[in-house]
Amino acid sequence: MLKEFYYMLLSFLTVFKHLFKRPVTLEYPEKKSEVGERFRGKPYMKGCIKCGTCIKVCPANAIKIEDNDFIFDMKKCIFCGNCSFYCPVKAIKMTQNYELATNDVNDLKLLYKIEGRENERLD
Amino acid sequence: MNYLYFLYIEFLAKHNIPKIFGDITFYVIPACIIFVALILVILVLVLFERKLLGWFTQRKGPNRVGFWGVLQTLADAFKLLCKENITPIGADRAVFNLAPIIMFLPVLIALGLIPFSSEFTFMNFQTNVLIYVILATFPVLSILLAGWASNNKYSLIGGVRNVAQILAYELPISFTVLSVIVLASSMNLTQITLAQSNQYGVLGWYWFPCIIGFGLMLICTLAELNRCPFDLPEAESELIAGYNTEYSGMRFALFYLSEYGMLFANSLFISVLFLGGYLSPFGKYLSPILFSGPVGNILIYFEQAFWLFAKSFLIIFIFIWVRATLPRLASFDLLKFSWNILLPLSIVNLLLMSLLKFFVGGVYA
Repeated sequence: MLKEFYYMLLSFLTVFKHLFKRPVTLEYPEKKSEVGERFRGKPYMKGCIKCGTCIKVCPANAIKIEDNDFIFDMKKCIFCGNCSFYCPVKAIKMTQNYELATNDVNDLKLLYKIEGRENERLD
Repeated sequence: MNYLYFLYIEFLAKHNIPKIFGDITFYVIPACIIFVALILVILVLVLFERKLLGWFTQRKGPNRVGFWGVLQTLADAFKLLCKENITPIGADRAVFNLAPIIMFLPVLIALGLIPFSSEFTFMNFQTNVLIYVILATFPVLSILLAGWASNNKYSLIGGVRNVAQILAYELPISFTVLSVIVLASSMNLTQITLAQSNQYGVLGWYWFPCIIGFGLMLICTLAELNRCPFDLPEAESELIAGYNTEYSGMRFALFYLSEYGMLFANSLFISVLFLGGYLSPFGKYLSPILFSGPVGNILIYFEQAFWLFAKSFLIIFIFIWVRATLPRLASFDLLKFSWNILLPLSIVNLLLMSLLKFFVGGVYA
């Protein structure tokens, strides 16, 4: 009985102490939470040589290369980071951007243009 | 009230308005003041509770609508006004509509009984306390009606639970109030307030000699208001929302409003009984010192109201603190706690207070 009462008083004190602590709330749209250095967010591509390694390595089949269009399908992407790891010229990078929600399905197809190698053959 | 009445009639006579007009309108004005004050206080109170609950759990609380979230309650009220009123099939339509209205009435009447300052008591009867204690239990009637008329098992269980709870907790309240009546030898709230003014200042208020009663009163009022940890009629894990499961829109808002109104009224009642009502904690009123002349004399009444409000908000703070800390009791434990512990304790308290009054007498008379 006494022990229960003591614990009750203790819990009251603990709760009271929380009044003077700083709130842990992060007001999201105004302040964004910081992510780690190796965070894998929205993928980015520049300087592709069309070797096709990323297509083979992607476990979700999210990458497509059509002529000069390099397409990430964000509906399928699982952010494993394999493509950026295996890319021989380090053309693909995982950025720290994690705000990927949209109202439009077409925005989920990330399209990057492949530059400069239009007339070369791949063999 | 007599003094105010006198001032009002004199003011009207200056402007050549007949006395009969003053007689009629005099009682309308304080009623309007009380109603407007009640609505304003409830708006503040809901925000106060949500903010405090936020801070207790290391959150920020409402902070989007208006500066610092000040307009949050207004926005909620507006949202509730826009919502559809649904009456479920098979519900007793008349009773279903009547219950929220009945719930709001006793709050208004109960506030009229409280002495806000030495001159402002809307209804100053000799037996204020008795009428208040009766009125404070009135919401249970409408809660039972709401539960019964909703044609919903959750509502019915919530209503019936509330009746059992009030029955169990009303007795300790009555005994505690009786002990205060014994100490003050009066049933008038103004007399009780005045009986607490003595040379001991803060220690002369009844919370000090009647500390057991003060604790009992806090606990029992929590139970009577259906607040945590005694909020069994609205236990959302078992009974969705309890008695107001089927209510929506403005009817739900009325329930909500009267719940908070009753919280405010009851905290006022406790601060009158145990914390010296409108008396200043410094023993002297500050306004005549700060403002000289007639302004200071008039400001005394506002200062008295300020002290009463400050004390009642202190008690509301304790209630919110309890809500943030303790989990809900089980249904059987709740009743057992009242009948086995609180009721005997309150009777012992009454006995102690009678002995104190008999032997010490003069100090707390």
